[in-house]
Amino acid sequence: MTGRTGHLAGGTQRGVRLGVITRGSLVEGLEMKLDAAQNIEDMKAGKFVVIEGDKNDFFSMVTDMRLDSTNQEVLLHPPEQGDELLRQVLSGTSTYNIVSLRPMLMMPRLLGDSLEGPRPVKAIPSHFSTVEEAVEADVARIFGREGDDEGRFFSIGSPLDMETPVCVDMVRFAERSNGIFGKTGTGKSFLTRLVLCGLIHYDRAVNLIFDMHNEYGFKAMKETAGANATFVKGLKQLFGNRVAIFSLDPESTRARGVQPDHEVYIGYDQVSVEDVAPLQEELKLNPTAIESAYLVYAIYKERWLRTLLSLEGPDVEEFAREIGAHPGSLVALHRKLKRLEAFPFMVAKVDDGDVVDRIMECLNRGINVVLEFGQQTSMLCYLLVANIIARRIHEMYVKKSERFYATQRPEDQPRQLMICIEEAHKFLNAGAAKQTIFGTIAREMRKYYVSLLIVDQRPSSIEDEVLSQIGTRITALLNDEKDIQAVLTGVSGTEGLRSVLASLDSKQQALVIGHAVPMPVVIKTREYGPGFYREMGSSTDLPGDERREKVAAATAALFGE
Amino acid sequence: MTANQVSSPLSRFRREPAGNGASVAAGDHVGEVIESETTKFTAQARELNGAPSFGCLVQVDGEPVTLGLVFNASTQSMEANRRPVAYGKTVEELRREQPQIFELLRTEFTALVVGYIQGGIAAHMIPPQPAPIHGFVQRCSDAAIRQFTAGDDFVRTILGAAGVPTDELLIATLKQAIAAHSGAGDYLVRIGKELSRLLSDDYDRLHSLIRRLSQ
Repeated sequence: MTGRTGHLAGGTQRGVRLGVITRGSLVEGLEMKLDAAQNIEDMKAGKFVVIEGDKNDFFSMVTDMRLDSTNQEVLLHPPEQGDELLRQVLSGTSTYNIVSLRPMLMMPRLLGDSLEGPRPVKAIPSHFSTVEEAVEADVARIFGREGDDEGRFFSIGSPLDMETPVCVDMVRFAERSNGIFGKTGTGKSFLTRLVLCGLIHYDRAVNLIFDMHNEYGFKAMKETAGANATFVKGLKQLFGNRVAIFSLDPESTRARGVQPDHEVYIGYDQVSVEDVAPLQEELKLNPTAIESAYLVYAIYKERWLRTLLSLEGPDVEEFAREIGAHPGSLVALHRKLKRLEAFPFMVAKVDDGDVVDRIMECLNRGINVVLEFGQQTSMLCYLLVANIIARRIHEMYVKKSERFYATQRPEDQPRQLMICIEEAHKFLNAGAAKQTIFGTIAREMRKYYVSLLIVDQRPSSIEDEVLSQIGTRITALLNDEKDIQAVLTGVSGTEGLRSVLASLDSKQQALVIGHAVPMPVVIKTREYGPGFYREMGSSTDLPGDERREKVAAATAALFGE
Repeated sequence: MTANQVSSPLSRFRREPAGNGASVAAGDHVGEVIESETTKFTAQARELNGAPSFGCLVQVDGEPVTLGLVFNASTQSMEANRRPVAYGKTVEELRREQPQIFELLRTEFTALVVGYIQGGIAAHMIPPQPAPIHGFVQRCSDAAIRQFTAGDDFVRTILGAAGVPTDELLIATLKQAIAAHSGAGDYLVRIGKELSRLLSDDYDRLHSLIRRLSQ
C-alpha cells in the first residue's frame, strides 16, 4: 500500500490534494469534502480532477459546489466582518465545502499495466479516497499527445487552469457529423477555423466550407473589444495550394485583397425544384406553389426555371392555363422566384463549365474548397446556393461510393468529405431537414463518406433526429435552457454537464463532448496566432533566419544544390 | 546557609539537592506535592503567594514525569484554627511592623493531571501512578510546552475535565502554548479547528473562546 497515494502509476508525483470523497453514487455522481486549505473559488465548474481509488484512477469533472455547515447556529450568527480568526477556524470544520464530481473514465492503476486504456466508469471509489488535481501526464494518458500515432491527435486547447494540450482524435472526428455550437460572439468561428485547420493539417478529410461571412478563406477579423480590431490568417494563407477559394461575389473577394481561384456562376438550368422547396419559408411560398413548380418541371425538365422567369406578368396566367396549373398559385411562384434574378451569380447560361464539377475536381484532388459569399449574405442566397451545390456533390459522392463498394479497389475509395455549414438550423430545422439535402447527409451519409460540420447558435431549432446523430459536439457558452438541452441530446450523464455548460466564460472556453474525445472536457481554446501558424507549417511567420533556411532548402530540393 | 534561611519555617524548601540523581534542581522548583490523586495533585508553593500562574503547565519529577495544569491556588493560615485577621494596614507596613504573620501563612496550588512524559515522549493520558507525594513541582520549559501542545489532544482532555473552570483553563493554557509556539497565527487556527470540531453543537461557547483567545 505504501507509496501509492499521490502517485501516478509511473511513480511521478501528482498535483495538489483537494479533498476526500465522502458520499455519492454511480448514477448521481460523487461528493468530495474540500480540504480546509483549499479555496472554494479555485474549484471551477469543468475542472479536471483525479480520484485515486485503491485499484483505479477515476478521471472526473467538477460539476457543482455547495456551501454546507454542521450547525444552524453558525448560519444564524455568522462571524463578524473583522473576525478573521473565527472565520478561519470555522472554515473546513463547522462550515465546509462540498464539491460534486462526475467520474467520466476509470483506468487501472497497477504498475506496468499499460495495455488497458481508459474505460467507462462502472465502479466508484471507496470512502475517503483522495482527490487530486490532474497533471499533464493524466491529460496525455486520456487525450493522447499531439504527434503520437502519425497525426491522429490535434490539440484544440487546454483544460481549465492547466497548460497541457487536450487533443481531439481527428480520425474519429472525421468519421461522423460534428457540431460547433455557442451563442453569437462566443468564438464559434474561431473554434471552427481551428478544427478545420486540424482536419486539413492532418489530411483526415477534405472540406467544403460554405463561408457565409467570409471568415475562413482569407483573413478574418478577430473579435476584440474596442477599436483595435486585428486580423488573423485564413485557411488559404495557412495552407496555400491545399485550399481553393470559390467566390460568389468576386468583386468583394478582390476588394479584400484576394484573387479567388474560381468565380461561381449558377445557371438557371442547374436549379431543380428540390432546391427551391427548402426556400419555402424564406420566399414565403405555399405548398401549392411547389406543386405548380413540379408541373412546369414535368414539361420543361431542367429548363423549367428559365422558362418560367422568361415570362412577363400577364403571360403567366395564360401559361398556367396551358400547362393546367392553378393560375393564382403560379403567378405567386413566378413573382417570388423573380427575386432570384437579382442575384448577380445567377446567369441564364454558364460559359466556363459547371461550377459543381470544378468543386468536385478540387475535392477529388484533396483540395479544400471555401465558398465565399462576399456581400451576398442574405439567407435566401445562402440557402439556395448551399442546397444546389450540396445536392449535386451528394449525388456524385453516392455514385463514387457505390463504385467503390462494387469494385472494392482502394484507389476507388472516396476521400472523406466534411461539409461545413453555418446557421445550420435554417437547413436542419424540423421542417427543412426533411426537404434539404443536409438532412439526408446528417442522417445517412456517413456510409457515403460525407459528413457535416454544423455551426450554429440555436441548436434547439435543429431537428432531434439530426442532433442525435452528431458525433462530436464542441460547445461554447449557451444560456438558453432549450439550447443546452438540445446540445446534450444523446449524451449520457448530462446532469452535471448542464451546469458546466451554462457557466462557461463567454470567450475562449468550450465544452468538448462525444465521439472524438474519451470524456467530456472543458477547454480553454488554443491560441490562434503566430505560434499556431508555425505549427501548421506556414512559413511567413517564421523568424527571418529560419524562413531563409526553409526557402533555401526548398530551392535546393527544387533545382538541386 | 545564612541565619535568615535557617530561621525561616520555609527554609526546608531551600536545601541543596540530595545528589541522588534527581533531575530537579531544588532551586528551580515552585512547590512540593502534599496531596496526590490520580486526576489532580496539590502542592505547597515554595514562597508565599508564589504559586505558578493559572493555566501554567507544571511537572512533577518521577517515573514517569507527571504533567499538570494549575487550575486553583489558595493562601491560608498554616494552622486550621487560626484565621488571618484584617489589620487595616498596607502590606509594606505589615512587613515592617508584624513580619511574623507572613511566616504563618502558606500558599497551595492544585493542578489537573493532563498527561505524562516517559522516555522523552509526551503522552496525553492519565499516568499509571499518581504524582509522588513530596515530589518537587517545577514549571515546564518552553520546549516541553511545545512538545505537549504540539498535537491537539490536550484540548479534549481539558474540555473533558470535571470540577475545573474548563473554558478559563483552556484559554490560559492556550495563551501559554501560543507564546511557546512561534508562528502563533497558524497554530491558533489549527487548535481553533479542533475546538470547533469538539464543540460542534455549542457555537456560542466556541465563539466566546475564540474571541477571548484573539484578544
